Amino acid sequence: MEADGEPQPKVKSEGAVINLVVKDQQGTEVHFKVKTKTRLEKVFNAYCNKKGMDTASVRFLFDGERVNANSTPEQLEMADGDVIDCVIEQVGGGVSA
Amino acid sequence: MSGVARSRLQEERKAWRRDKPFGFHARPETADDGSVNLMKWKCHIPGKQGTDWEGGFYPLTMEFSEDYPTKPPKCKFPAGFFHPNIYPSGTVCLSILNEDEGWRPSITIKQLLLGIQELLDTPNPGSPAQSDAFVLFTQQKAEYVKKVKRQALNYPPPS
Repeated sequence: MEADGEPQPKVKSEGAVINLVVKDQQGTEVHFKVKTKTRLEKVFNAYCNKKGMDTASVRFLFDGERVNANSTPEQLEMADGDVIDCVIEQVGGGVSA
Repeated sequence: MSGVARSRLQEERKAWRRDKPFGFHARPETADDGSVNLMKWKCHIPGKQGTDWEGGFYPLTMEFSEDYPTKPPKCKFPAGFFHPNIYPSGTVCLSILNEDEGWRPSITIKQLLLGIQELLDTPNPGSPAQSDAFVLFTQQKAEYVKKVKRQALNYPPPS
C-alpha cells in the first residue's frame, strides 16, 4: 500500500471540472473553470486576452516546468485549485555582469 | 513506518498547491514508473528580484525522514553551490533547519522555502559553511557579487 502524494481526481469521467488559478509576477490571480480534458491553450488564450498580452510574450509554468499549450489538466495531473505561474518570456545570455 | 510523516507531507503538498509563492515549485519526486516518493521533494527557489540572485532558478531537494516533523528535512542545493552558508555538499545551513536551534514542527514547507530564498541574499558570515564563498564575501565583495551573478545565469528558469 503506497501512500500517494497526488490527490486522486474526484470524478474520472470526462465531465470533471476543476478550478485553475493563473498567477503573475505581481501575484495577481485569475481563476478559470476548466474541464480536465480541455487543452490548456484555451486557458492561456483567454488569460492573455483578458490581460491584453500576446501569448508569445509569456510562458506558463506548472511544477517547475513549462506547460505545453496542447496538454490537458488531466495529463498534467492537475487538481482543483492548482496554480500556474505566468512569467514573461525572456532569453538569457549576453549579460555582462 | 510511522504514518505521521507521510500524512503531514500529504497535507503540506495539498496546502502548497492551494497557496504557493510565485515562481517557487515543490513536488514529491516521481519515479520513472510513476510512483510518488513523498519523502523526497524536488523544489525550485527563484532568486529574489532586485538582488544579485535575481534571474536564477535554484534547484533544491528536500529529504524527509520518518521522524518528520519532529526532525527537520535535509535541504540540499547541487553540490558546489556558491554561498557562504551552504556546505560544499550543497546542504543548507540555516537555523530553522537545525533541530537543536530554530526548527519547530509547525514550520511549513512554504516557510522553509521562503526562508532559504531570504538566506540567499542575506548570508550569515558568523557561521560559514564553505570557505570559497565565505572568503570572497568577507574580503572581496566585488568578486563575490560577480560569482553570484554568474551562478544565477547557470540556473536559468525553465524555458
